[in-house]
Amino acid sequence: MCDIIWCKKDVGGKPCDTVNYLDPYCFWNWKGNINCAECGAVYFIHMINGHMYKGPEDRPGEKPDTSPLYADKPLDGYKFITMGTEGRTRPFQCLPRHIYLGVPDMVKFSIRGKPLRGWRPQAPSAGIAGQFPFNWNIKKLAPEVWAEYQEKIAKGEVKDW
Amino acid sequence: MNDKKEWRTKYKNLIESPLEEQYGPKSKQELDEMKMPYEDFCKAVFAPGHEMGKPEALKGTRFMSTTMYIFTPHSCANLAELGAEVYKFEMPRMGDPMKHTSPFNEAYLYPLHDTRPMTGTGYGFTSANINEYYVSIDYHIEAMKEPFYRIVKMSDGLVECYRPGTFDRWKQSYRYLAEMNPRFIYVWGGGFGYGPKVFGGSYDILGQAHAGLASVTGMHEFMGGHCAKHSNWCIDWYSGTQITFGVLAAMHWRRKTGLGTMIEFSQVQAATRVLGHAAPLYGRFGIVRQRWGNWDTQLCVHGIILCGKSDYPDAINPQDKFEARYAMVSAFQDADFKALCEVIKKPDMYSKYIKHKDRVGAEAQVDIYATLEDWAKDKSRAEVVRILQNEGLLAEPVMNDREVYENPHYRTRGTLRWMDDPLFGDVLVQGTYSAGLMSKTPRRQVWIWRPVGADNVKFYHELLGYPISQVKEWYDKAWI
Repeated sequence: MCDIIWCKKDVGGKPCDTVNYLDPYCFWNWKGNINCAECGAVYFIHMINGHMYKGPEDRPGEKPDTSPLYADKPLDGYKFITMGTEGRTRPFQCLPRHIYLGVPDMVKFSIRGKPLRGWRPQAPSAGIAGQFPFNWNIKKLAPEVWAEYQEKIAKGEVKDW
Repeated sequence: MNDKKEWRTKYKNLIESPLEEQYGPKSKQELDEMKMPYEDFCKAVFAPGHEMGKPEALKGTRFMSTTMYIFTPHSCANLAELGAEVYKFEMPRMGDPMKHTSPFNEAYLYPLHDTRPMTGTGYGFTSANINEYYVSIDYHIEAMKEPFYRIVKMSDGLVECYRPGTFDRWKQSYRYLAEMNPRFIYVWGGGFGYGPKVFGGSYDILGQAHAGLASVTGMHEFMGGHCAKHSNWCIDWYSGTQITFGVLAAMHWRRKTGLGTMIEFSQVQAATRVLGHAAPLYGRFGIVRQRWGNWDTQLCVHGIILCGKSDYPDAINPQDKFEARYAMVSAFQDADFKALCEVIKKPDMYSKYIKHKDRVGAEAQVDIYATLEDWAKDKSRAEVVRILQNEGLLAEPVMNDREVYENPHYRTRGTLRWMDDPLFGDVLVQGTYSAGLMSKTPRRQVWIWRPVGADNVKFYHELLGYPISQVKEWYDKAWI
């Protein structure tokens, strides 16, 4: 974290008391307006090499250029305003997408639709002293994957590239 | 008739010399090849996808790989891709530690070993151990010395990566093995080698750091950057390849003298070679080289610029959506720089930096690249590249893996290709076929890797002649 903006704006008679964390990836060398993740107040900052060269200055009525990545209310029992909260914090660019589920994704076909033979658990078919054959026949090893592969071929889902 | 006689006398040597010593094509096929356009000639002689029908340069060579991770294994993979019979020796039931790495998600291929059905080999292992036979052996054990020495007597050489002196302590260093096989080529590859830091181990990042390479890589601090290592263990891959050169030279030397060699290869030492002019520069002026990010200290304009818009603004993948914004631009010759300044409508910039000497200085570069990025801020990467290429300037997009995969240039040359691994099925590979094309004896990838001890029977029983009962006994004791 290169710096923070501790917002102390008055919101409904109480101070906002939100810490907006300024991450170095975005703000190390940065100039512009940024919103408070809680009350939406806009601040101008100018950072050079991770140091707050100018600001934070109030810019009421102006639009924010970006939002903090993460904000929190440490004096208020922690609210964890995490990244990507709509309209408040900036989404993290590497936010897990639909294919990253956080659980092992046991892929049985490559992106061009042909079968892989490396999923688990595998049938124990090693020979003497852990020996393995050179070729594994997918048809015998996993008939259900073979059947699925035939369906894919019929549907035209198997491509060369 | 007379002419013919004269002609025969004049070219007597040529006519009487064997066909292979004469100039010109030797067969109809060669005649056709000579008539072909160069492009077709290359397609015919390299024929990507038809490597398997051609001979292997190193066929008949047998090498031992007692290696781990990427650096030393890669030196043997190079040999195996060129046709050598390479045996990879691993610890029983565990294998090379590199097998237990994987980038993310479930990038593993199962199985690892029949006793560990829920453990796989990670994609991190890819390209470092191609086409090798997998043997498990615990050569700490006295009883296992015999098969180890037996294979030494039958092999051309060995690559190991243990701490210096470890194999000597185990009575299997060059001093011991050369007594058994004087033709043996022995390679130690590791971190520092003999010297004050003899016990220092190494990783790629350590090599890059200790050799001074990381200090000249990455953005300068005034650009908001830090020293950087190259992301993909390039010094591991590079050092492994340098060992292969050493092995091939040693084999050539052995043909002439009949004697083996010991190669002692320090990774931190190897990484200093890529520092270019750093040492002479320091030696002459006392100047310590600094890093200069995506620009170039010796040429300007010759760097990577950030464009304002992505080529794929609607993509889901952030690498496409946000990162497809960088373009490589080169216009360091005066005429090219003039053309570049005209394209970006800054003719005054050309008059300011008319000579290369004027624009290669640090302040000038900051000014020039800032102007270029200012021009590119409302354009996409593709637009920038197209505009510059149309003006005859050198510009290319900084591509990501997906774009490399879809690039027709690589597909035509077979650089990146799908292979049906006999054990693991459909795999996309890029390593083997990236390393230069050879018309007569090309590299090839037959399998990506095999499970731990997969070739134990082939090795202990078929090659060394131990009875199956003995092999089973060793296996039950977990010695193999």
